[in-house]
Amino acid sequence: MDSMYYGDVLIVDLDAGTTEQVDFEEADSTGPGLAAGLALYRKHLDAEPLVFGSGLFAGTPVPGACLGFVLARSPLSGEPAVAPLSLFAGAEMKLSGFSMVVVKGRSSKPVYLWLHDGVADIHDASALEGKDTWETTDAIRREMGESMIQVISAGPAGEAGSKLASISINYWGSGDTAALAAVMGGKLLKAVALRGLGMLDADEPEEFYTKAVELLAGARKDKGFRSICEAIGAPDIDAWLKPLTHRVRSCFACPSACSTFVKYNEAPSVLESSDVVEPGMLVTSAAASLWLMQGGWEAEPACRAMEAMAREGVDMVRGARELAAKPLAGGDEIAAAVKSLEGSQGAGWPAGEQMNYGLFGAWVPPLANADAWLAANRVGYVLGICPTYLMLSGLDAGSLFELCAPAAGVELEVDRIADMFG
Amino acid sequence: MKGRLKKAAGDPAYQQHKRAFLAAFPRVAVYTGEGASHSWIWFSDLLERLGIFDVRFITEVDILGDALSQADFLLVGGGDTYAMASSLGAEGADRIKQFVRDGGLYHGSCAGAYLVLAGVDLEPFTPFDLIDADIVNVMADPPAPECLEHKYLAPYGDTWVFHPVYGEVELAPGPAADGYSAFNGSGAVATPLFGGPVLEVPDARCVLADYSGVTDRAAFPWPRDRAQRLIEGRQAVAIDRMGEGTVIASGPHLEHPLFPRSNVLMAEALGRHWQRSATRQRNAGVLDRSAGVPPADTNISAGVPPADTNISAGVPPADVSLLEIKRQVSNARIVGFGLEKLPVTWRIGLKVWEPEKIRMFLEYAWDRLPYLEARAARALPLPMAELEQLACGYGGVTVLAKTLKLKVESGQDSQAEALSLLTRLKELTARFLSLYFALRLEDQAEGARSTLEDEAGWPAG
Repeated sequence: MDSMYYGDVLIVDLDAGTTEQVDFEEADSTGPGLAAGLALYRKHLDAEPLVFGSGLFAGTPVPGACLGFVLARSPLSGEPAVAPLSLFAGAEMKLSGFSMVVVKGRSSKPVYLWLHDGVADIHDASALEGKDTWETTDAIRREMGESMIQVISAGPAGEAGSKLASISINYWGSGDTAALAAVMGGKLLKAVALRGLGMLDADEPEEFYTKAVELLAGARKDKGFRSICEAIGAPDIDAWLKPLTHRVRSCFACPSACSTFVKYNEAPSVLESSDVVEPGMLVTSAAASLWLMQGGWEAEPACRAMEAMAREGVDMVRGARELAAKPLAGGDEIAAAVKSLEGSQGAGWPAGEQMNYGLFGAWVPPLANADAWLAANRVGYVLGICPTYLMLSGLDAGSLFELCAPAAGVELEVDRIADMFG
Repeated sequence: MKGRLKKAAGDPAYQQHKRAFLAAFPRVAVYTGEGASHSWIWFSDLLERLGIFDVRFITEVDILGDALSQADFLLVGGGDTYAMASSLGAEGADRIKQFVRDGGLYHGSCAGAYLVLAGVDLEPFTPFDLIDADIVNVMADPPAPECLEHKYLAPYGDTWVFHPVYGEVELAPGPAADGYSAFNGSGAVATPLFGGPVLEVPDARCVLADYSGVTDRAAFPWPRDRAQRLIEGRQAVAIDRMGEGTVIASGPHLEHPLFPRSNVLMAEALGRHWQRSATRQRNAGVLDRSAGVPPADTNISAGVPPADTNISAGVPPADVSLLEIKRQVSNARIVGFGLEKLPVTWRIGLKVWEPEKIRMFLEYAWDRLPYLEARAARALPLPMAELEQLACGYGGVTVLAKTLKLKVESGQDSQAEALSLLTRLKELTARFLSLYFALRLEDQAEGARSTLEDEAGWPAG
């Protein structure tokens, strides 16, 4: 199973400061994506592994094929937990040349990983120590000379080992509700930077591409961010953000634009690039928005609070839940409040406290019952398809599984998926 | 190697036409010197597909030295004809003419074709009168272009060479193409025209191909119908004997790797010349291979900082150097890709360079690195010093590319940095390909008997 880079595993030993590319011989039996990630996690359990990976279709034209993952033992639960790598990070994870990356041990100094075109480099990150996620992203992109590099980083919250720490993707929140950024911080792994210009091989390229495009054409049209708001019973969020909305944005290969870019440092109607370096932020979390809206926050300070949480590398949903009770207005006040967040609240979404999401956490409010959400996550993380998109689009899982053979010469069945997580 | 390129390389036509070179492999010199743009790299694809690995990448200095006495073919691609002619001078022209008279083959595409047209009587081109043909696309006062303004004109004395169509055109056989299989397939032979000449060839027997049409995969600085009228029926490729040798002048880039049928046309012309070169065939294979390898004391690492890398302990030195080359080529092409998003071009001499050219050079090394890695994995010998120099060289390219991008992004003049980077890339790519072809030649020599028996179906003799 050489197609889709499947089977190429990078072992990073931070104790020794070395990298090694190895064949993952068990790949055929474990299954792809997170199933392989879990097997690697168990295999290297003694070294407190932090596993980065991508699903089988990530980086391809299959609709919603944006998903990668980070897997480690959560400091919150002591159990293995997963954070999604969406936006363009999951696809770039695959294009960087590695399906899976296992980070073992702890570095003696801050470092970041630079994964590019199948090459793995460990770079000194001493100069990034204490930097927020925006500064970190800018610094790495500047150093490597390209603005499309995807940067998965731990902000100051992760470096401090905060229970609220959450992995960031470039400047934005990731949906890490398990404090995996604190695991990165504990290893002195400040960031993982990704870029690749390669092309993914498919076993039967023309068949794979044709079927992927057919799937896209047949997928239900949804309204992106608005669909999520409606699905969680809070359509008002969209109207609340509307005065600040500049554009909507989707993740890699996804027809559903479920993130909203808001501007509050210049007029949202300004389309061309201006002198304002940071005109606003990308709202990636309907749940965080909902907490703040329900707490009585005005949209603009709420967005500023989300920006502050993104910069700190804080779990935006739990942070918003903690902030919700005390609406603020001033920028300095907000920044101070974000820095003093304690992580005193439980799971990000109230329903998450009652429902057993297993590995996956409550990174979006439930779009259906827990069983359906679990099933969508399992399929999504194996195949590299965003589970939110899976649920909103009504994509038929059977059709997706039919793509496995032309993609990588593997036969997968829906019924087998739950066993992979056994 | 990427999709379309990989598909083209797999075209079965190459297997058939490589037979012309199996009995004795010609020694090929590819011009990469002053005035050469990036397009000479395309020759390496064609030669590789034809199984010709005795290839050296030479400059005007080599031509003015003794390099042509060690070559059977001289291939000159696109670029700045004025710079080529100026740097080679009358002495270079004499060397090339003597090379052809003695039985060599000269193939010029685009600028390499303009260079050798006898109809061009203008210094510094006058001494390069290798083939009786003239340029049609010349005008004292060309109309304003509808697109591609930066590609449209080049000064030509008191007049201008202009390019009415830029991109894919179609070829029909001329009288000299009698028996050429390239024209046997259905439809016209498609080929790319990137500023090459539209020719007027007085002797019809010397016309290998005419322009027969344009396609939708072309841009039209002139209105399409007018451009079509100008080129259709005019000559695209001229071929003639000169002494014992052959001269080919081609407006389009027959060697472009995405055009297999166009490649076949060129391969047939080379093959026919080679098959009647009995004396040269007897001499083939006795060249001094060291002539193609850059001197060991060439310093291409000046100013390059040490790489910030981590390499697993216990890795063999060849693997370390190859990994460093891979690392730096990857770093540089990632920056190069970023540059392609920026609205910038650079004029070097008479030639306009786009940022895309940076990555084109880098891809030639990138696509061939797996071969070197496979050699290392099989513990076959690799020249360590050369690999280390290449690694340092590509490290320098990464630094230059980042500096260039910073300059462009900050709106500063980046001409000097672009010149420096592109010059370095051209030298380094020639050096990399020299090493690559030398190693492939070694492999070929070791496997020659079985290759001949397997592929040609006759004993090696």
